[in-house]
Amino acid sequence: MVRVCDLMHRGVIYCYPLDSAREVAKIMATNQIRAVVVVDETGEVWGLISIMELLGLYGQELEKIKAEEIMKPYKIEVDPQLPIESAIALMKRKKIDQLIIIDPHAGPKRPVGILTSFDIVQYMSGLQVGHYESQLKMKD
Amino acid sequence: MSLMRRGAITCAEQTSIREVAQIMMVNRIRYCVVVNQSHEVVGIISARSILKAFGKELDQTKAKDILLPYTISITPSTPLKEAIELMGKKKIEHLVVVSERLGSKAVLGILHASDIIIHLAKG
Repeated sequence: MVRVCDLMHRGVIYCYPLDSAREVAKIMATNQIRAVVVVDETGEVWGLISIMELLGLYGQELEKIKAEEIMKPYKIEVDPQLPIESAIALMKRKKIDQLIIIDPHAGPKRPVGILTSFDIVQYMSGLQVGHYESQLKMKD
Repeated sequence: MSLMRRGAITCAEQTSIREVAQIMMVNRIRYCVVVNQSHEVVGIISARSILKAFGKELDQTKAKDILLPYTISITPSTPLKEAIELMGKKKIEHLVVVSERLGSKAVLGILHASDIIIHLAKG
């Protein structure tokens, strides 16, 4: 059985609640990601800022807007051992593109990874990470 | 519309969902534009469209079965602010840029939210 921990990205890219929206945009642009996890000083998840939240700020002064003002509170906790089918059903039901993975053994609200819709596309494509061209050639 | 990516990765209406997923993976993109035989845009498939198809027969289900029909598009002269408002209103991350000729559905490129974020990050 494939589980969330088999497909998720280990570790999360995060910002703090008082970081400015400009800094969040830089984190997103530098890391080529579509969502940044907001954590407090103790490392607990507060929320998530997706690309769409940042887009809505176009034309505003990004330095004056804090991450905590634009983040969406994150309340869905997903265990790394959850079967992937259940995670996909959850993403479909909640209409979300990413799940923050919380390991209960690491402590409450401690993010250990993130699972995105793109990881699911990779899983469904049947291709392994990297060497896509050689894999496709091998199929022929 | 200097932020648009010229050209677009496309697939045919009859392409299987598995192949669309592979096209996305190989090209590291989260969308695929579906075109007909005349290379006119018919719709777009996003990563979420693929996710929604989980559980279906991936080799039998075709792109035309899951695509989001082409109804929203912009032209190269659409102001960026207007394009961003459209993305926010429709909750979509990519807009198909088509030719300005009336009625034309020829794809010129894609405007992607992540390119706008890079623009925002620069300030």
